[in-house]
Amino acid sequence: MITALSYYLDSVRGSLRLDPSSEGEIISELETHIEDELQELREAGLSEDEAAEICVKLLGSAKLVARQIYEAHSQGTWRQALLASMPHLLFGLLFALNWWQGIGWLLIMLILVLSMAVYGWWHGRPTWLFPWLGYSLLPVVVAGLFLLYLPKGWSWLAILVYIPLALWLVYSITVQTIKRDWLYSSLMLLPVPTIIGWFLAVEPIGKFPEYWLERIHHFAPWIGLSFLALAVAVATFIRLRQRWLKASVLVMSGLLTLTMVAYYADGRLSLPAFLVLILVMLNLYLSPALMERKLRRVDKRGS
Amino acid sequence: MAQRRELMKGSTASLLLCLIGQQPMYGYQIIKELETRSQGYFKFKEGTLYPALHRLERAGLIIGKWQTLPSGRQRKYYHITDKGRSTLVAKRSQWQEFLAAMNLIIQPVTA
Repeated sequence: MITALSYYLDSVRGSLRLDPSSEGEIISELETHIEDELQELREAGLSEDEAAEICVKLLGSAKLVARQIYEAHSQGTWRQALLASMPHLLFGLLFALNWWQGIGWLLIMLILVLSMAVYGWWHGRPTWLFPWLGYSLLPVVVAGLFLLYLPKGWSWLAILVYIPLALWLVYSITVQTIKRDWLYSSLMLLPVPTIIGWFLAVEPIGKFPEYWLERIHHFAPWIGLSFLALAVAVATFIRLRQRWLKASVLVMSGLLTLTMVAYYADGRLSLPAFLVLILVMLNLYLSPALMERKLRRVDKRGS
Repeated sequence: MAQRRELMKGSTASLLLCLIGQQPMYGYQIIKELETRSQGYFKFKEGTLYPALHRLERAGLIIGKWQTLPSGRQRKYYHITDKGRSTLVAKRSQWQEFLAAMNLIIQPVTA
């Protein structure tokens, strides 16, 4: 196909951010349209280049076309919204109903989260997968934190071996997710600032684990409430069409839950810590957009 | 031209449902058919036709089916669904009521 038209289709594909099979179908449909148009223009006596130029003009801005097609496809069903918000809902209930102390419930939750994440990852990575994926990485991080409490000598082993491996795993899954759509990466990382906030409020320094467990027990209803707020935010994210609204919902939910942490933590989260957490949240939710741009530039140079 | 585009914005779904309701059609054919039947009045910015078609498809009013042509090329034909047909009936009667009311006011009074 003529370079200008290939460039046009590449530009549409680059801005679509849908699942690969839908993207393939949409590009094929536009390609057929272009071929029909080119044939008619050539039959009318135009040269190949003139026909291509008119064709691109008639189609209109590639970015606008891609954005409108994205908005036609981006709204998930209520079922998908429920499925996507489920891990936050379950995590919230785990604390709100004080199930977090029962090893059985924790095991059920762990198995469910891992099963959903693996199933979604190998079945086209639908939108509902990403919140589950975020929670499936949580045990990896928690295990790393626990390893730091090992006797001296062993904790160095954790720092040198486990933590780099865990960071590599989290990084590579994040990059894979950003390549699909940076918003999904933000969706995946959504609970991280809230978890860090509660972690700081609980202050696990010193008498571990008695003091820690006592504090978690004290904060449990509010921890539950903050995760229920995240569940509502995720359901709203899935139901919205426009990208800027989706991004705004994520940032607003981050602000809301961190404010809840600061409010209910009985002054255990200082103002500087709260402000740093907000910066961390903004960085986690919005830096994937910059990373996506960088990854695309690298991919373009590579091809 | 801008006014015409504004008027058309609200009627795009009805126009597409009406055409596809008469026979299954593909994107390029729809653009040509609209232009011919309206004697050049309706001119789509071609790229915006597909988002409109995909919105109707997501709403379950039409369904796209890929067909292989004798040349081996594939084309996506849009077919109206039962839900689309009943929506079209409702839209047609709304449009006729609107047109009748407009005519009562906008047409010059004859002696």
